[in-house]
Amino acid sequence: MYQVTVEPTGDVVEVEEGQSILDASLRQGVWLPFACGHGTCATCKVQVLEGDVEIGNASPFALMDVERDEGKVLACCAIPESDLVIEADIDVDPDFLGYAVEDFEATLTSIEVLSPTIRGLHFALDHPMQFQAGQYINVVLPGIEGARAFSIANKPSDNGVLELHVRRVPEGAGTGYLHDQLRVGDSLQVSGPYGQFFTRKSAPEDLIFIAGGSGLSSPQSMVLDLLEQGDTRNITLLQGARNLAELYHRELFTQLARQHENFTYVPALDAPQPEDNWDGFCGYVHEAAVEHFGGQFAGHKAYLCGPPPMIDAAITALMQGRLFERDIYMERFLTAADGAEGGVKSALFRKI
Amino acid sequence: MSPKKLSLKEKYSLLTRDLEWEYSYRDYKEIFPQEEFEGIKITDWSKWEDPFRLTMDAYWKYQAEKEKKLYAIFDAFAQNNGQLNVADARYVNAVKLFLTGVSPLEYQAYSGFAQVGRQFGGVGARVACQMQSLDELRHVQTQIHAMSHYNKFFDGLSEFNHMHDRVWYLSVPKSFFDDARSAGPFEYMVAIGFSFEYVLTNLLFVPFMSGAAYNGDMATVTFGFSAQSDEARHMTLGLEIIKFLLEQHPDNVPIVQRWINKWFWRGTRVLTLVAMMMDYMLPNRVMSWKEAFEVYFEEAGGALFKDLARYGIEMPVYAETAIAEKEHLSHQAWSIFYNYTHAAAFHTWMPNEREMDWLSEKYPNTFDRYYRARFEHWREMERAGERFYNPTLPMLCQTCQIPMGFTEMDNPTLIAYRQSVFQGERYNFCSDGCKDIFDHEPQKYVQSWLPVHQIFQGNCGGAEMEDVLAGYYRMNLGTDNLDFHGSPDEQRWNHWHNLQTAAEQMKKAS
Repeated sequence: MYQVTVEPTGDVVEVEEGQSILDASLRQGVWLPFACGHGTCATCKVQVLEGDVEIGNASPFALMDVERDEGKVLACCAIPESDLVIEADIDVDPDFLGYAVEDFEATLTSIEVLSPTIRGLHFALDHPMQFQAGQYINVVLPGIEGARAFSIANKPSDNGVLELHVRRVPEGAGTGYLHDQLRVGDSLQVSGPYGQFFTRKSAPEDLIFIAGGSGLSSPQSMVLDLLEQGDTRNITLLQGARNLAELYHRELFTQLARQHENFTYVPALDAPQPEDNWDGFCGYVHEAAVEHFGGQFAGHKAYLCGPPPMIDAAITALMQGRLFERDIYMERFLTAADGAEGGVKSALFRKI
Repeated sequence: MSPKKLSLKEKYSLLTRDLEWEYSYRDYKEIFPQEEFEGIKITDWSKWEDPFRLTMDAYWKYQAEKEKKLYAIFDAFAQNNGQLNVADARYVNAVKLFLTGVSPLEYQAYSGFAQVGRQFGGVGARVACQMQSLDELRHVQTQIHAMSHYNKFFDGLSEFNHMHDRVWYLSVPKSFFDDARSAGPFEYMVAIGFSFEYVLTNLLFVPFMSGAAYNGDMATVTFGFSAQSDEARHMTLGLEIIKFLLEQHPDNVPIVQRWINKWFWRGTRVLTLVAMMMDYMLPNRVMSWKEAFEVYFEEAGGALFKDLARYGIEMPVYAETAIAEKEHLSHQAWSIFYNYTHAAAFHTWMPNEREMDWLSEKYPNTFDRYYRARFEHWREMERAGERFYNPTLPMLCQTCQIPMGFTEMDNPTLIAYRQSVFQGERYNFCSDGCKDIFDHEPQKYVQSWLPVHQIFQGNCGGAEMEDVLAGYYRMNLGTDNLDFHGSPDEQRWNHWHNLQTAAEQMKKAS
């Protein structure tokens, strides 16, 4: 296993023995330009800055001799032979602050029952973590292979603590451990911050946050951060849940909406129970967004966080309301069960 | 403080797009007079995202090295008498079809991209079109050079360019590009940049190139690799134009949908030539047309249209018909060409027993049921010395210009006829798709140069077939045309291989 650092974003990709840089990157959510996938088109050409790499089956017409001499490779067929630093033709977001990834020891201080399926875990960190609202951490759990990723729900100014929202995945080893075995006072190894999901503060547009299930975590951090900084743009948070019991932190956001004229909170339940006496929006959260904005989303920046079907439905709703890829940011909550999505993918969209 | 390192995007922008002029003393509409008449609304050209970031300097460097490599292979192919190593001489007929039918389209694309590129107010689109235009010119040149070697040894290649503008079946691909180039700049980009280069290119280019690879044609394969390294740019340009149009204004969506419907159908009709090439002309088969259509259109195209659905774009309106046709297209097309081989610049033949069995296996729903008996009958006729040639001239579809030989898909024994009346004249079509295209712009398609009409009107060299074929088309009758069996191509091929065998025997003896 080698680590490949992708400049200029600084994303780090773990590449298995014999795996191509492109394959590993795409699987780990790091987008690189690509098209043919087998070394003939040169769309995925990258510059190797440090390290050794096997060029693989690159066509001599796609990767020229002069380019080979300059250290260029095609990511779709290049196999790392050491840790690498590569430079790819990808854009750095001006709002990305690039805080360094560090290791932390996190000690559990309290457990909050947010809903029948979601726990709020509060940790104290052994030293402060600099991060951008929206980013995530990786946590190593004893006896469980592979790190698990969770979005940070606290705001960046509370940098000595960590608040995570953990939904129990049916038969999930990691979330099962966090729900059943972790006790107050236990410590875990955490690394972070990671990810390209953060608030584009330099963009002048009003903001829409769409959250589903435990995907409230990132938007919570982002909204709290914006309001704390006195941001004057219109901010709308749409939160989707199954029923009232699953709708957590409702009081927090209802309260904030009262205090801040520019903040609007729209909860939506798709299967409210009779005893919920729900008089709010009935339906999926993307439908709530369509209703709230009259189907017109142009002129906004939208941030989506939650399970893949919610993200997918929200993207379609936003695009039909004329908000497009460049103005949509998303964090998909994948579980081990989601794994390979399968099927042929078109090259029409980069992130979607 | 050290200056921030420029990203590739910023570098590209400084080198190219920032060279845009400010139009201070002429009106924008005067400079870009074609930007509005199609109804497309562009509100902000700055939203155009460069599909590739290649400077002219780097472009020349890359292309020069590609050429150097490519021509080294051509030389080696020629010096090693590569023509002797193809699967068999029938294969060269696929090369003839490509050179007469497809290579001139590359030239049309070169001219088309140069022309429309000039018409876009956005500098990013102009630069991208300019580069694609240069690529296309390179493609036509290298294709002619790759195939010129065959011209020394086989018939039917020498007048490819002259024929492209005149011969009945070549009017199918020619009119496709003429239609696109005589449309507005945005329709051209959707027609060629998107529908052709992105959606359909894998069904045109890949079958010919893999056909070459499977049949020992090193020169054409190498050309294919060289061109494919440019194709990625063309595909990303096609995607960018479609996203850009759909995002710029909601009023563009129905216009783009209509263009996609039209150009998908126009494209599938042109691909008829590829379908029969794959199933009938390659001595070593790669995959059936049906399989190729499933992989490249149904799967890959399906994924694309699933994504486009987010913009409100639907599958092309006659996609279902095209999917049904995959079972029939190549057999019906090959039948047409078998009928009219005396008027074609390449040879046809009836598949041998092994090839018929392959077709039965690949087309279990249709080949034995609808086509095998006809082909066996024609083969019997040929054995009896009465090889069937159809002495009449076929009626052509007013839109796609293919002879009206396609059948209804719900009844494959009934020829499909559609008609429209415009200004008192009756026009004929092979399909609902072609009729729709006509009905939307009848003034355009009544001007179609239909080869059969032109012959009857006396515009093609004279009243006799020989006047048309030998005089107007410049075919060498008795050599370029007729069945492969008994052709000079076949005789030469057998002669070469006997000679080789004799030479080997002498070598062994000595």
